Amino acid sequence: MRMLSDEQIQALHCTSLDILSRTGIVMKSEQARQLLLDAGAWESDGRIKIPDPLVMDAIASAPARIPMYNRLGQLTMPLEAGKVFFGSGSDCIFTIDVETGERRQATAEDVQRFAHLGDGLAQIDFTMSMGNPCDVPPLDTYVHEFIGMLRGSVKPTCYTAHNREDMEDIYRIACAVAGGERQLREKPFLMLYAESISPLLYPEESVDKLLFCAEKGLPVTYPPSPNTGGGGPITLAGALALGNAECLVGLLLTQLVRRGTPFLYGMNTAALDMKSAIVSYGAPEWPTGMAAWTDLARYYGLPVWGAAGATDSKVVDAQAGIEATVTVMAAFLSRCNLVHDVGYIEYGSTSSMEMLVVCDEVIRDVRFIVDGVEVSERTLAREPIHRAQPGGGFLADDHTLDNWKWAQWRPALLDRTRYDRWVEMGSKDICARANERARQVLADHQVPPLPEEAEEVIAQVLKAREAHCDR
Amino acid sequence: MSDILQQIASNLYSGADKAVAGLVQQALDQGLAPAEVLSGGLIAGMDEVGKDFKAGVLYVPEVLIAARAMHAGMGVLRPLLAAGDVPTAGKCIIGTVEGDLHDIGKNLVRMMMEGAGFEMVDLGTDVKPAAFVAAVREHKPTIVGMSALLTTTMVRMKTIVEALEEAGLRHSVKIMVGGAPLTAAFAREIGADGYAPDAASAVDVARGFAG
Repeated sequence: MRMLSDEQIQALHCTSLDILSRTGIVMKSEQARQLLLDAGAWESDGRIKIPDPLVMDAIASAPARIPMYNRLGQLTMPLEAGKVFFGSGSDCIFTIDVETGERRQATAEDVQRFAHLGDGLAQIDFTMSMGNPCDVPPLDTYVHEFIGMLRGSVKPTCYTAHNREDMEDIYRIACAVAGGERQLREKPFLMLYAESISPLLYPEESVDKLLFCAEKGLPVTYPPSPNTGGGGPITLAGALALGNAECLVGLLLTQLVRRGTPFLYGMNTAALDMKSAIVSYGAPEWPTGMAAWTDLARYYGLPVWGAAGATDSKVVDAQAGIEATVTVMAAFLSRCNLVHDVGYIEYGSTSSMEMLVVCDEVIRDVRFIVDGVEVSERTLAREPIHRAQPGGGFLADDHTLDNWKWAQWRPALLDRTRYDRWVEMGSKDICARANERARQVLADHQVPPLPEEAEEVIAQVLKAREAHCDR
Repeated sequence: MSDILQQIASNLYSGADKAVAGLVQQALDQGLAPAEVLSGGLIAGMDEVGKDFKAGVLYVPEVLIAARAMHAGMGVLRPLLAAGDVPTAGKCIIGTVEGDLHDIGKNLVRMMMEGAGFEMVDLGTDVKPAAFVAAVREHKPTIVGMSALLTTTMVRMKTIVEALEEAGLRHSVKIMVGGAPLTAAFAREIGADGYAPDAASAVDVARGFAG
């Protein structure tokens, strides 16, 4: 699906270049400021202003694809044109306890259990933390998240961090998992998610993490959040022009440090709700914007980041189903490459295992639609139609018996049982069934443990952090 | 149960028709009686299939694939079976009622019941009351099954029950009915003996009558 015409893409692109060269950004990192000035940017009125060719060179030098591996060294997530991958989201404050149904603060154990659940769901391709643990020292939160995700899942990880010190510890652990720095560079299983502050502000710690990835040649995404009416203009086009400009600065910095740094382009265009003042995760502005910035990414030849499968609802209900399906459909149709936030409820404040399980089914359902219709001799069924008894049906025909398993989509979570049987089985709605499925995956699904050397490094890192705290 | 009978049953369950035919021949070569192969192998396998279908483990095509394997086994066995050898679960005539041309649901019930060992006589679709009466006279079944998909045709079922009464045949058979618009209450209302909401339950209802 295309959201933007060629002319609209040009209009957004030119506006973004205008924002960078005329309006300028505020850069709080001295290292990044110097990088930009040395490369040909200039400073006036306290802003860094960036000329067009700098930006265009950076776009040209960034890779068009990012092959992402799982932590076992298998290529499972090639972020490249036409491919769509889904995963959870990061850093929710609350979670819905899958055992008790209670809404409570997230713990380090929750992070690992969410990763474990995502590992066992076939449509979930990568993990994010889904929780900001309240039961570890505040400065160690992100390192604990990273460890929990690695232990809970083999799938690629999209992680967050506090600062460069976090990045160094995470890098040490990741190298131990991969078997060395070179192995990690060759088969990266992790991607940093960091962001600037819209509009136009680049905090030192955020930029520092970005530069760290470029120094090491590791994949990074740096999507700003110009939410309409909040961090961005109330109009979607303005939000997209601003977000594009802001994201391209991140891209430029990585390419200035190391040409060819794998950079995942993208932004987030939620809506700041004009009644509640929440940042809406179910707003149609987000998937509409996603389709548009995916068009921009295609124009630039860059892999692209997006979001889907999240809801503003406080429970997993019809609203959650609507918002998940609309956004997953948009992600698929626009061919956005890496789609996060699957499993969020309550406008991203709370994580829900039931929601993650429901979205797994939504993704599988929509995938059937985008896969389209196979038209071939075996599917045209010329002979079965020829031999059928008029009115007699095809149920017992060999063609049905030989092809039914792949030819029809079969629900795993959606209910099609007859009424009496549904009552017999407890009259359960989709949320109750998703709860059962989540518990079953957690009980049955096995995840290979981390290599011993990695656990040793983790122990060292945590011990050093403890000592640091004591001092 | 001997090893080979178990193998027949499990191959039938997974729908391996060629393997079932081969194993049936092998069992006969080992000296097992045809009736033993039928009940201990083929029917035992179909019973498992029926049970798992009802429990929601198996899909409809998997039942039909198993039935296909049963047919393959029967192909080898049938010429060797004496008339008294076949332990039929019961005889049943089945048809879609007058005015209704819908065949698929009725066929599914027929196939499921065949798989469960019933001897089925299929009268087809658009079956008039007189044809039901004539078939009962001719085949002397224990069960009469009627199907309808339309609310406009399901009312004809009552006419058929009445026709059997008039012919003095009503008490020689059990009548069971089914079809999307039907309910258990409707079945009682027209004087039928049983109702099943789906094909798997139909087998259970029929077994209740035949047993």
